[in-house]
Amino acid sequence: MAVYRRSRRNRFFLVLLALTSVTVLTLDFRDGGDGALEAVRQTARDAFAPVQSAADTVFSPVTGFFSSIGDFGNLRKENAQLRRELEAARADAIRGADADRERQGLLQLQGLDYAGGLDSVPARVISTAPTNFQLTITIDRGTDARLDVGMPVVTAAGLVGRVTEVSRIRSTVLLITDPQSNVGVRLANSGEQGVVRGAGNHNLLPLDLITTEVPVEVGEPVVTSGLERGLFPAQIPLGRVRNVVAAPGALQKDILIEPGVDLTRLEFVRVLLWTPTR
Amino acid sequence: MRNDPRFRLPIMFVAVLLLQTTLLARMRLFGVMPDLMLLVAVAGGITGGPTRGAAIGFASGMIIDLFLPTPLGLSALVFTLVGYGVGVANTGVLRSAWYIPVLTAGAASVAGVTLYALIGSVLGERMIDGHLVTIALVVGLSNAVLAPVAVKFVDWSLGSMRSSRSLTSGPRLPV
Repeated sequence: MAVYRRSRRNRFFLVLLALTSVTVLTLDFRDGGDGALEAVRQTARDAFAPVQSAADTVFSPVTGFFSSIGDFGNLRKENAQLRRELEAARADAIRGADADRERQGLLQLQGLDYAGGLDSVPARVISTAPTNFQLTITIDRGTDARLDVGMPVVTAAGLVGRVTEVSRIRSTVLLITDPQSNVGVRLANSGEQGVVRGAGNHNLLPLDLITTEVPVEVGEPVVTSGLERGLFPAQIPLGRVRNVVAAPGALQKDILIEPGVDLTRLEFVRVLLWTPTR
Repeated sequence: MRNDPRFRLPIMFVAVLLLQTTLLARMRLFGVMPDLMLLVAVAGGITGGPTRGAAIGFASGMIIDLFLPTPLGLSALVFTLVGYGVGVANTGVLRSAWYIPVLTAGAASVAGVTLYALIGSVLGERMIDGHLVTIALVVGLSNAVLAPVAVKFVDWSLGSMRSSRSLTSGPRLPV
């Protein structure tokens, strides 16, 4: 009898907690990112950000060691390859600087923004989202540093993502690998337009082209298209084509892009002070 | 005073949250990290039984929800159910063989991740794809490995609120 009453009380407690969760869930879902609950969330994140930042610094030797275990044997080879690539890049930079100036002029004529000419704010990555499902990072700059929702986030190697949430001292960045992310891009050689979708951590990014019969080369660079009303300004490098597979009989080619930035090891990023026109 | 759960529980939650959001978020295996907050819910069920398991699951879910991009309450709902389920399934396991909590943590974590993805998908998040299998397996495996430590830590944090079948029996509460 006592056991029976006890288990009934247990179940009542479970239903109570589950219903509370569902209520909070419904309220938050309905408010969709602004409302009292979002304010609570913001406060908690702001309060925890300095602690996270400190802990991240303390832990960095550990994480550094962990991620270097796999790299150890490859360093010499990688060094040689980097030297070769650096020489090629130096030559490209000279040619590129000239082309850049020309393109900037052309884009200005069309009223489009060019990423190379935008002001930016440097920021430190203080944490990655503590989940296996969404790919976001938190950076240590917010509205105090003129950041706003929608701003593109980059490193020297290319596009990282865009700001999706901002508080006074901190913002959240949705990475281009997140399944919710879509980036309008252009293939550098053919000029063909397409959309790069996120496909989760460690994965290559699938590219959907608007027309299907264009030739696509492996290694071809991909940059943001910066079309009118796009989410990103033009000419931010995104990565290179890694894989092109045309299944026999299929209309569409499966094209995979390898991001230029190693999104799993971000430490410092730059936020471009540019918001999409709505 | 020193074994007051009002004092120990917050310490446990903050410590685990800090580990989860900083150290572990950067140490991923196949892009997946252990889910410590889920493990806390599981450990709560193992060491505290259904009611305390549900309560600890609810608290740890709400806390991690504050730092996730998904709607608030999603983890809380899932972790409550997991904590309760583990509590019901595991009456008295603390005094049984060492591998029982390990296996329980593995299985419950796989179930928790799957449930989370299912409910998340209903709410319009893109969570179910081939990657889900990897996530569930890696989380299950790593949580199983970490389970013995987590059970001890959560048991410690319950302090005087421990149930009689706990590692070191304290006074039983009339819950």
